[in-house]
Amino acid sequence: MDWKKFFGFASLPKPDFIRAYEKSMERKFPKGKPLSEVEFLVLDTETTGLTIKKDHVLSYGSVLVIDNRIKISNSREFYLKPKKRNREAIKVHGLVQERPYVSRERLIRTFLEDARQKVLVGHHLGFDLAMLERVGKSMGLRKIKNPGLDTYDLAVRLDRGRYYDPHTVPAKEYSLDRLCERYAIALDDRHTAAGDALLTAQLLVKLLKVAEAKGIKTYGDLLG
Amino acid sequence: MANVIVNRIIDFLKKYPPFSFLSSELLSQVAAEVDLIYFEKEEFLFQKGEPAKSYFFVVKEGAIKLTDDVSGKEETVEFCDEGDVFGVLALLGKRPYILNARANEPSLIIAVPVGIFEKILNENSQVSLYFASGFASGQVVVRSGLSQSQKVRNLLGRKSDENGLMLLSGQRTLQYSHPVVQCPVGTSVFTAVTKMSKASVGSIMVVDQNLHPKGIITDKDLRNRLIAKGLPYDTPVEKIMSHPVVTASKELEFSQVYLTMVKHRLHHLVFTEDGSPDSPLLGIISDHDILLSQGNSPAVLIKALQESEDIHEMAKLRNQAEGMLKYYLDNELAIDFIAGILTEINDTIIRRAIVLALTKHQPSFPEVQDLEFCFLGLGSEGRGEQLLRTDLDNALVYQDVPDKLEEKAQNFMHLISRDVMEVLFACGFHSCPAEMMANNPRWCQPLSQWKRYFSEWIREPDPQSLMMGTIFFDFRAVGGKQALADALTQHVYEEIHQEKVFLNFFAKNALLNPPPLGFFRNFMVEKSGKHAEKFDIKLRAMMPLADAARVLILSHQVVGINNTFKRYERLAELEPNQASLFRDAGKAYEIFMRIRALEGLATESSGRFIQPDSLGKLQRQLLKNAFFPIEEIQKILKVRFQLDYFGN
Repeated sequence: MDWKKFFGFASLPKPDFIRAYEKSMERKFPKGKPLSEVEFLVLDTETTGLTIKKDHVLSYGSVLVIDNRIKISNSREFYLKPKKRNREAIKVHGLVQERPYVSRERLIRTFLEDARQKVLVGHHLGFDLAMLERVGKSMGLRKIKNPGLDTYDLAVRLDRGRYYDPHTVPAKEYSLDRLCERYAIALDDRHTAAGDALLTAQLLVKLLKVAEAKGIKTYGDLLG
Repeated sequence: MANVIVNRIIDFLKKYPPFSFLSSELLSQVAAEVDLIYFEKEEFLFQKGEPAKSYFFVVKEGAIKLTDDVSGKEETVEFCDEGDVFGVLALLGKRPYILNARANEPSLIIAVPVGIFEKILNENSQVSLYFASGFASGQVVVRSGLSQSQKVRNLLGRKSDENGLMLLSGQRTLQYSHPVVQCPVGTSVFTAVTKMSKASVGSIMVVDQNLHPKGIITDKDLRNRLIAKGLPYDTPVEKIMSHPVVTASKELEFSQVYLTMVKHRLHHLVFTEDGSPDSPLLGIISDHDILLSQGNSPAVLIKALQESEDIHEMAKLRNQAEGMLKYYLDNELAIDFIAGILTEINDTIIRRAIVLALTKHQPSFPEVQDLEFCFLGLGSEGRGEQLLRTDLDNALVYQDVPDKLEEKAQNFMHLISRDVMEVLFACGFHSCPAEMMANNPRWCQPLSQWKRYFSEWIREPDPQSLMMGTIFFDFRAVGGKQALADALTQHVYEEIHQEKVFLNFFAKNALLNPPPLGFFRNFMVEKSGKHAEKFDIKLRAMMPLADAARVLILSHQVVGINNTFKRYERLAELEPNQASLFRDAGKAYEIFMRIRALEGLATESSGRFIQPDSLGKLQRQLLKNAFFPIEEIQKILKVRFQLDYFGN
């Protein structure tokens, strides 16, 4: 990493869009808000690997879910130009697809605008958020402050109740693939960020129906 | 640019009408605006009476049932599965919903905003026709809608996924020769032949001073009637011409022209201004012209069959007819035309087989060799609707003979029947499992016995009799002495006139098979909401219509119309206030015949059992719309024959 450059940027004032985002997050979600009124931004990223410190975001996809509706009109798909073209990977996949790449700033700006007043949702959400924070760091994004809902955690909780020992959870059973299979969600476009975001969104609406049947009816019940 | 998520919606929608009619650009615009909504089993999407929402729906995954509240009970009206469009009242007229929609299983639904579609509806005629003609689910199809939706199906064009369902032929233009080589009455043959030779044609028309056609001279006439007879070349043409000529109007559709020529075994058909022989000559068409235009001529096939001496050759010719049938179906020729041709071919085989059988057996039965008899087609054969070589139903009636000759007559007729049936089996027809065939001695009987059979069925209408009735009452003289069949018809009407209650029983019998509701994936859906795996198009769609037509036509004492669709045509004329329903029923029957024939050809079967998931969306909807008249017709029977009060 170019430390000099990094410190140089960090000393600059934060861009407006980050400030606006941070300000928007000061307003807290009322706990009693019914789930039908909670807005979810379901997202996924595709990265060069699983090491947060070392790997990069290649693409990002998201879709909005409100009141059980997946809003296709509010779907996003962005590709970042890889810093180093991984020629080996290209060889393996056999595709050199020209993507309409966007800048890192455009990605973070759009994401933060979309994320205002939303509950962020992802499968293993923590990893995606950490990766996005890494992209935004150079722009002055310190922390993504939204409440988050991990579909992995929700699925486990719906099976095992609120207080479970994470060590006893057979993690494989709760992979996105397995859950989609279990909840009868057709698996196509697997492993593109937008495709996975759409799968996760479908999983979310199905999980929320189960949750509702179990008495989880408000924002507070879900995340509290 | 559409992203992966939008693309997934596009990939899904483009498979189904009306989205399949949109340009890819429009489709991406639509897809980018939709919502995906998930519904749990039994959850309502909307309820009857609710104001229309601002979007209509497409099932992406799962299934939705449309239900109606009938006297406090929720009854399923229709099932929608993947790709079905429903809730379109939001789009058309914005009236409150007339049905409930609820998830039959966990379902993912695409909600399409009305706003974006309204524009498309106005600009894309295919899309507006799709909606206007009741192809979407849950739309109430008005009676006149059926012929309309049939037309529309045509306009919407063929899609590869529609399994080649094509309906109605457009009018095909006729290429007839004109000006016609002609000469006035009184011309010498020599002058006429000079004209023919100059024009290098094989025929010349003879006309009077008003240019009305009087006759025709062909090469054959010159050979047979002039040279062979040793007549001089200055013989006037009218002495050797063939006359009268069969004339037709040039407005006639190709198919009708064709049928006329096949039926009358014409080599030439003459067109005149108003279609009558007393009108100026316009043109002429020969079977050769037709042969050229068709590449495969039934006239040629029929001629070959008429001349055939060999059972194997007849079988080969009949196989050829199957190819022709496929060609006609593929080219969307009208069903009455196709049925007319196929019936003529089948009848020709029988007539030819009779001639061959007579030649063979007459010498052994000198006492009864001139016995009059009539070969009767029964069931679909009798109705002239047998497109495929399915089960044979036929019988033979012969004139009554003195007791001492009865045994001889019976033996003779039995041999004739047996030989005819052998030819038919060799030609690929199937044996009737119930053995309702002329080679069964029970169904090869003198007229008096046939009269007794019919009297028995009419006077004691038990289930067995009624079942016989549905097959035997459609009898039609195929070969032999027509008068015997006419005498039988006469008898039937006299008996029915005396036993009026028979028609009530017969009508009740026609209601045995209620029409199906529609389709759901690879199931057929019954009124009760139950599913059946395969759709028996004969039992569930065709028989109810054919049975109803038979009862109604008998009640009107109409003689000589056996085709189910022609019966409905006639009924429409007889009862103008029900005309549109009867016409729809006839159309529906044609649709069923066509689909069955296509299925039969495709699967080399009787075409009777249709796998619903092999049907395209439009085809399913068309079939489903064609079920509507069945129910309406059955209602008429119920009221007219007071079946609700009629003993069980």
